[in-house]
Amino acid sequence: MILDPILDLFRGKAVTIPPMDGAFRPNTALEDAPVFARLAEADNLAPWKGAVIASSGNALYRLTEGAPPELLEVFEAPVSAIATSSAGEIAVALDDGRLFLDREEVPTGSAIRCITALAFASDGGLWLANGSAEHRASDWAADLMRKRASGSVWRRAPGKAAFEQRASGLAFPNGLLPVAGGVVFSESWRHRLMRLDGNGLRPVLEQIPGYPARLAPLAEGALLAVFAPRNRLIELVLQEDHYRHDMIAEVPRPYWIAPALASGKSFLEPLQCGGIRTMGVHKPWAPSRSWGLVVRLDKAMQPVESWHSRANGTRHGICSALAWEGRILAASKGGDLVAAMEAG
Amino acid sequence: MSSSVPFRERLQALRYNLIPDHLIGEILTKRWTDNAIPFLALVAVIAIFGSAIPGFFNPFSLQESTRQLGEFTIVVIGLTVVMLGGGIDLSVGSIFALATFAAVGCFFILDLPVWVAFLGALATGALCGAVNGYLVGFLRLRAFLTTLVTFIIGRAVFDILIVQYGAAVQTSFAQSDAWDFIGDGTVMGLSVPILSALVLAIVTHVVLTRARIGWHILAVGGSRRSAHNAGLKVRRTVFLTYVFSGLCSGAAGFLVACRLSGAGPGTGAGLEILALTAAVVGGNALGGGRGSVAKALMGAVIVLVMTNGLIRLGYGTGTNQMVLGLMLAVAVTIDIRWLKNRHKVLNEVYVAPVYLRMGDAQSAEPGSGTPYALNNRLSEAEPIGLGELEGPEDVILDRDDHLYCGTRHGEIVRFFAPDYKRSEVFAHVGGFPLGLAFDRAGNLLSCVGAMGLYRIAPDRTVTRLSAETKRSLTSVQDDARLRDPNDLDIAPDGRIYFTDSTKRYDAHEWTLDSIENRGTGRLLVYDPADGTTRTLLDGYRYTNGVCMAHDGKSLFFSESWACRIHRYWIEGPRAGTAECVIRDMPGYTDNINRASDGTYWMAWLGMRTPSFDLSLRHPAMRKRMTRRLPQDDWLFPNINTGGIVKFDETGRIIRTFGDLSGLSHPMVTSMREHKGELFIGGILNNRIGRYRIEGADPTWTGPDSYWGRT
Repeated sequence: MILDPILDLFRGKAVTIPPMDGAFRPNTALEDAPVFARLAEADNLAPWKGAVIASSGNALYRLTEGAPPELLEVFEAPVSAIATSSAGEIAVALDDGRLFLDREEVPTGSAIRCITALAFASDGGLWLANGSAEHRASDWAADLMRKRASGSVWRRAPGKAAFEQRASGLAFPNGLLPVAGGVVFSESWRHRLMRLDGNGLRPVLEQIPGYPARLAPLAEGALLAVFAPRNRLIELVLQEDHYRHDMIAEVPRPYWIAPALASGKSFLEPLQCGGIRTMGVHKPWAPSRSWGLVVRLDKAMQPVESWHSRANGTRHGICSALAWEGRILAASKGGDLVAAMEAG
Repeated sequence: MSSSVPFRERLQALRYNLIPDHLIGEILTKRWTDNAIPFLALVAVIAIFGSAIPGFFNPFSLQESTRQLGEFTIVVIGLTVVMLGGGIDLSVGSIFALATFAAVGCFFILDLPVWVAFLGALATGALCGAVNGYLVGFLRLRAFLTTLVTFIIGRAVFDILIVQYGAAVQTSFAQSDAWDFIGDGTVMGLSVPILSALVLAIVTHVVLTRARIGWHILAVGGSRRSAHNAGLKVRRTVFLTYVFSGLCSGAAGFLVACRLSGAGPGTGAGLEILALTAAVVGGNALGGGRGSVAKALMGAVIVLVMTNGLIRLGYGTGTNQMVLGLMLAVAVTIDIRWLKNRHKVLNEVYVAPVYLRMGDAQSAEPGSGTPYALNNRLSEAEPIGLGELEGPEDVILDRDDHLYCGTRHGEIVRFFAPDYKRSEVFAHVGGFPLGLAFDRAGNLLSCVGAMGLYRIAPDRTVTRLSAETKRSLTSVQDDARLRDPNDLDIAPDGRIYFTDSTKRYDAHEWTLDSIENRGTGRLLVYDPADGTTRTLLDGYRYTNGVCMAHDGKSLFFSESWACRIHRYWIEGPRAGTAECVIRDMPGYTDNINRASDGTYWMAWLGMRTPSFDLSLRHPAMRKRMTRRLPQDDWLFPNINTGGIVKFDETGRIIRTFGDLSGLSHPMVTSMREHKGELFIGGILNNRIGRYRIEGADPTWTGPDSYWGRT
């Protein structure tokens, strides 16, 4: 032990990531869950007038279990986030930065260009997560690999027209959960949940073994979608500036060493040693760029239960989850479906 | 290199391709590197005290120092042998003192001849050693406590004796020339103690490294239980080490008796600590089993120079003891840390990546319109041996249509025609049988990973043909040994051309070679006429498949990590030279075999990825990756997708097959055409695929193509 600091100079410090253990212990509950609906690139789920709606590409769909999705509306650009209020309003953000409230464009100001999440508070106020000041929502991988932290959280008070910035300098806020007196939001690139209220900004859950995405309320606690796992190789690349810059400049984005919503679809994607298919088997615990993970949080925002689709699964890239009629729906953007799990 | 390459990248290329980092790892694999730290300490100690003390190197002063050194070394060698056997001897100081008294008593009090005094000292030493040995070896008492007890008792006996007879020794008039010569004389400038120490060191070294008892001692010290299980007489061996240590202390006691012509209360006091420090500082493991006489010698010199030097510089006993204690502490720490972490250090420094800028490849993506475009055809292949087979790297068929392949269990398995449902183990070779070929007489030849080139006769007798070639002059690690023989083919004259893929990694670690990307692959030829093996070409990045051209005048071989196919000329004006026929493929090339239409099949064991290609231009990043990440997380070439490529003599690509589903044939390492079908193997796969080729000659077979129809 005493020689370790000296030896470290010669051997380099190990890159470590928090393990998937405790409440994050892997299982196949998400991979094995029944399909609620099949929808290409299912992204943001929300309840609306007694049904579930979901965004997918440029459009909004109404989902019914076991039936094909019903097209509600088509937009000019990919939908980056949606939210519904108890009064039945629908807020829709587009990848080009525009925001619509019940089909009417709402001016947001030039600072908001990357709307990753929207949420109505119980008082009718609208929270908005602006992932990055520089990139579009669909360019999230570039924002991560350029190690940006230019995101912000905004709020429009009930009855007001303008959004007011409540926090800034965030590393890709990517999910919102209005709580009494404020909001809890996920900060993807820092792997944590933050709480913003009258007492200021503070972390409520850190060291998440993945990149957290959207939050959804539960009767007691919340649901957190984790869209990709942490990976030691990606962490290393984040520290390897020369390689990273060359990769961003020269390698097509789907083939970057970066988190992904789905992986293994092209032979041009990076492969790690543990991911080699041996004797017909792809190890479920292999290092992977993509994973499926939904976490149930208690009232104090601490994890209590999780549903996984592991490295050898396909239901990866869970960008949002929703409690619905006693079950938990998870939208797998990488697996093109919405799965329905029983809550434990 | 073009000028568009950035300066930093050019610098990296120079840095990583010209400085041979890989030698560090290769040197560390050598056992003698254990001596490096004690040796550096030795040089440092001599340099420091040599420059701090005026007249340190003066011949007279050296002569006196070496007498003491000789005696001390003898004791240290004895203790080292005990430590090698897994024990410890704290009583060396007492035995030394008692032996001195025995010699002095015999000579001065009893007036006996010098040789009797010598035998008396040895006998005293042997007796004390035997007591230790009996208690520790046969009664299996704890070595530390036992020798501590004998140390105290021995010391007490000596103190009683010296008080009783000290005066008698001093007043004696006994004299002998032999006694004085041993104490004062020199032979060819060397004193008797130093000569004795040298002789003892050489003999002990030879016995430890070459003789049965020496090996037994090391085996017992390394692991008592294993030694016992191997049938060694553990107790007797331990006993003998203590007797040897006693004898050494006895001999040293006699020498000091001659030099000082007397014994006093201080004789041998603190010697056990000095000797123990010397043995450990020299690098002998306290746990036993690891160490050498050379280490004992280095340790003895370090400790003696240090203690004498400190005294001559005017430091007191306290300082001296303190320095000794610190040295012991440091030595023990380094010993334990090194022993525990040596393999980790080796793991971390062994992979030494080099720089390579791969050429741009044509796309292999489906729909790209290139001849390399992959498809899903191989997923239609019918499986053979699914779930039974593990790792059929190469496959081959004989004249009776039976199918043979190697497995990772070291077996050659035969599947019976026509349906290949039944199988048997044709022969057990060991290692990892890779490339296969039939010779004219119907013998099956195989390149066996980690072993060499083997022949399996039709009656299943296994014969080793070659396991080594000539060692290259600049090698640090012995590269005569074939480390990863991979594929072979046979020329019409019966000579066997085969590849040894890498000198750096064993067969089961072949994928690590892609991370390092150093060109150490060879093409070799075995001549059955005189049984010799020659290296034809060296320095390729993982030489792999070999295939004789249809006319038998040249051969094709693949260079996997460079994604190239080369042609080597056996006959004609360019005999003995190689040229690259296909370069910059989008996949990593593996085995090559003949096709029925006069062209060739070639397997892709994996596909290039843009991220891995880029990493080849960042050797420093790859180096840090191997040090900072567990191996499972390392970036690899994509060997989850492979394919089969057909090319003609000119290097033109005709067609490509793939399995993009990745379910049946994710990677392909070989394919063999036989009667209109293609049989597909994969080193990491669990099956052989059988694929019907449209338009292929339904009568063509490999044995006919090579050796004619029978």
